Amino acid sequence: MDDYAIGVLTNIGLFSFLALSAYLLLVAGEMSFGQQAFFGVGAYAGGILTALYGWPLPLAALAAMALGALAQFLVGLPTLRLRGLYFAMATLAAAEMFRILFELFHWRVERNGELAGPDGTQGFRGIRWIFEHGIEPVHYLILVYALLAVILLLLVWVERSRLGAVLRGVGLDPELAASVGIDVQKAKLGVAAAAGALAALGGVLYAHHNTYIEPRNFDIMLGVHSLAYALIGGLGTAFGPLLGVLLDIGVLEGTRFFHGYRMIVFGGLVAVLLVFRPRGLLDERMVLWIRRRFS
Amino acid sequence: MDTATFLLSLVLAQTPQADLRCTPTGEDFIYDCTVTLARGGKPLERAEITVGADMPSMPMAHSVRPSKARPGTKPGEYHFRLDLEMLGEWAVKLRLGGPVRDQLTLHYEFDSQGATRRK
Amino acid sequence: MLADLIQNSLDGVTAGAAYALFALGFTLIFGVLRRANLAYGPAIMFGCYAATWTHLNFGAGLLLLAVITIAGGVLAGAYVERLCFAPHRGGSAIAAMVASFALWMQFEELATIVMPRHLYAFPALYDGPPLELGPFTLRIDGLVMLATAIAACALLWWILYRSRFGLAVRAVIEQPAAASLAGINVPWVLVRVFALASALGGVAGYLVVASHGQITPMLGMWSTLKGLLAMMLGGLGSLPGAVLGGLALGLIEAHSQWFFGPQWRDLIAYLLLFVLLAARVPWMTTRSAS
Repeated sequence: MDDYAIGVLTNIGLFSFLALSAYLLLVAGEMSFGQQAFFGVGAYAGGILTALYGWPLPLAALAAMALGALAQFLVGLPTLRLRGLYFAMATLAAAEMFRILFELFHWRVERNGELAGPDGTQGFRGIRWIFEHGIEPVHYLILVYALLAVILLLLVWVERSRLGAVLRGVGLDPELAASVGIDVQKAKLGVAAAAGALAALGGVLYAHHNTYIEPRNFDIMLGVHSLAYALIGGLGTAFGPLLGVLLDIGVLEGTRFFHGYRMIVFGGLVAVLLVFRPRGLLDERMVLWIRRRFS
Repeated sequence: MDTATFLLSLVLAQTPQADLRCTPTGEDFIYDCTVTLARGGKPLERAEITVGADMPSMPMAHSVRPSKARPGTKPGEYHFRLDLEMLGEWAVKLRLGGPVRDQLTLHYEFDSQGATRRK
Repeated sequence: MLADLIQNSLDGVTAGAAYALFALGFTLIFGVLRRANLAYGPAIMFGCYAATWTHLNFGAGLLLLAVITIAGGVLAGAYVERLCFAPHRGGSAIAAMVASFALWMQFEELATIVMPRHLYAFPALYDGPPLELGPFTLRIDGLVMLATAIAACALLWWILYRSRFGLAVRAVIEQPAAASLAGINVPWVLVRVFALASALGGVAGYLVVASHGQITPMLGMWSTLKGLLAMMLGGLGSLPGAVLGGLALGLIEAHSQWFFGPQWRDLIAYLLLFVLLAARVPWMTTRSAS
């Protein structure tokens, strides 16, 4: 497989974590403009642990996920009672605050005779764990997709379980859910923590793939794009967000067919598609139809 | 640790430094570039470089075809062609193989004249 | 110290006037649609770029540029309304807002394709020295911005409370279901409100770009962020709130920047919004936002 294909596929995989993160909250009925913040938290935390303190990547990834979950939980505590645009704006504000905090964050430590670590707007260089351990790009690609596969299995299993039905119910009609005794706030907080962990995992993987991160990487563009991918791909299944990412980064960008016009094409595609399918391509109806067809 | 190991670790740990010079080819957003690589003050020779690029504020979303750099005439110099999607600030990524395995990220602002270093 | 406070307040109010104008446009749209139009700033940017392009290729006077900006903004706004908001009226708010974000991407890419440089000069509104009021300075274009914001408020008030169109708009805002039952052509009202908001945005965009003397592709994101922030700060759905929110944002930014620097300036504004939302301050969260 050539370098280019490996690169594009890895990017698709990495973005999918973010898109899935936005998807989880969408299914629970909340629109978040801020998942990029937790992607960033994961990236910085994972990078610091491996590059500055010699932690192995798997351990650093777990720690980063925990931190991402905690961060999103804390942001969600006061805000998940808000609905619609209010919640969206709160997540936007929170995410921008995180980004600015990344700009103000300096943590320089001497490693091997040089200063290393996050340096505010100058960024965080030298996250070299995969180089130091001889991991080739194709191996990393496999790692990313292996993790993605595990996550998808988990999500599909949850979706088919009672928990999944409860969460979807909370998203589609919270009043009804509350009236049958579901603690809506607790459900949403749980989803938020999971979303934060997922975004953070994507972030760790991104940081190590890129070896360099900076605050600008985690701005609004990233967040709103992942939201768009989740919605356009479809809210009916965890494969939906992946489809969204694949459409934009895989088909439109990767094939370079629309070189320079990609966003115009994708933007138009999204708007038109949403007119006919407001819950995306793989929405609940489509998923039901597919299941009936193949059972 | 003893002196020899210490000195060895210093040598092995030094980050390569890179400097980029690009000229537009006339075709939209394609640049002919020369990178000068040095390490510990000396030019870094026989490095195998694969070059890619991404935009800082929308990472993972742009696909610049990776190109392999050819060695230039002077030691430490390598040439490659960069096919970007648009003007603006790009994070040029040099993946080094051969004597040194590392990845460098350089920020350059690309315009109609060439590329100016940003950080 | 007091002198700094007063000067910063003057600067803050003039910057805030621009935010107020953007917020007014957002609020008009939110008021009748209960949705945020994420393509609002970019549509304005489209108008500004159209004017810049005209100026670059043909040279044009200030008045013509203003007209082109407004016309471009209204055209772009109509495109957004037809594609993102008309189809989802009564349907999914999230779909509408994400669709508007998709169009934002379109406008941004279009701008960078047609005019690829990061920065273009725009004829300045006023080239001369700022007004001196004792130890304080006040930029003339800032004054124009402030005067325009006040005039826009007055105009909107007149439209809403002294015209038949305004009566229909208020009916749609207060009682959307009853309004259509009473025979009001709601979609047509929405189209006209959108056009009004876009025109207002065009004026705001023109003044901003002419005051700075330059235009960059960041204008779309910037005006969207400031407009949304100001609208939320002032209380979603309230026109006077939009103006107050804009002025407040300008003041907060000016003082924060003076004391703490540009990063803290933005941080404080976002923190304030977050805290106000989290505390579910009544004036901010009374109107339902679908």
